[in-house]
Amino acid sequence: MLFLSPAKLLAPKSVDKTNETKKWIISENSNLCVNGSTNVNNFSCEILAYDQTDTLSVNKNKAGKEIGLSGCIKLKVQSFDCHNSIMTHDLQKTLKEKQFPVLRINFLSLSKLPDLTIRPESITGAVDIEIAGVRKRFEVNYQISADAQKNIRLNGSRDVNFSDFNLIPPRKLGGIIKTKDKLSVDFHLKMKSME
Amino acid sequence: MKKILISGFIAGCILFIVSYGGLFLAVKFFPGLFIEYNNPLFNSNGSRDLLFYLHAFIFSFALSWFWDRFKGLFKGVLILRGLEFGLVYSVIALLPVMWISFSALDITVVMVLSWFIYGLVQAIVAGLVFAKINP
Repeated sequence: MLFLSPAKLLAPKSVDKTNETKKWIISENSNLCVNGSTNVNNFSCEILAYDQTDTLSVNKNKAGKEIGLSGCIKLKVQSFDCHNSIMTHDLQKTLKEKQFPVLRINFLSLSKLPDLTIRPESITGAVDIEIAGVRKRFEVNYQISADAQKNIRLNGSRDVNFSDFNLIPPRKLGGIIKTKDKLSVDFHLKMKSME
Repeated sequence: MKKILISGFIAGCILFIVSYGGLFLAVKFFPGLFIEYNNPLFNSNGSRDLLFYLHAFIFSFALSWFWDRFKGLFKGVLILRGLEFGLVYSVIALLPVMWISFSALDITVVMVLSWFIYGLVQAIVAGLVFAKINP
């Protein structure tokens, strides 16, 4: 699924000499992991196989100061696996899966254009994360690297709170068992550069 | 009637401390027993917390009436009367409820056993209080 407008798709590459655009195609082997804890255990819920092929567009202006990133990944809340069916259902219920079956990560910008070498490079970037119908902007820490075949690995991590998305962390038995508000979100995107 | 209400209220206060204090300590020292409660089967948005914490009083007032009606059947010293009362309640009321809960709900044997023991201890404590206050 492409997230560029048809006009952009049809336009010749780098028509505007002030801009340079690159496209990265997200492979199906990408994954996302959400880690959290309660006062009785820790949990780790994963979407192991991203089942779509999306495209990220990297747009650098001539000054090179601002790197625009456009593209979106859509994740089915139903695909979360917490390695325990009861916890999986509980997470899906908390994320209001029936009302909002899709979680979205919209990529907005990068702090710099990555060098794309074998050695992972630390950069930051802005994303919009939409969960349960609420969209919030976050700065994400990325590790980005690429191999000789131009396979790019983008690992992002960010702590978010249930309350950022107006979600109530589950509490059971009158609050005696409580899920902590903080969640750690890690995603690993495998991409191919289209030059 | 007054005796039923007063002994029910006193037993409710004691059960409140014993039950929720016990639960708090159990979660602190045996957290592994409570992992199964991360289950959509259990209310998770806090909307029924008040009902949950009122349970000790619902339980104590019901048992207070039961004690007043049948206390003549429980003979012997205070401890024996309290123990017998708790066991009678557990066999008549708890055991069938636990049986149907386990057969119908997606819950574990450990969970059902813990509920049975929890109810048995509550009923024995209530029985001891009633035997003392309303002999």
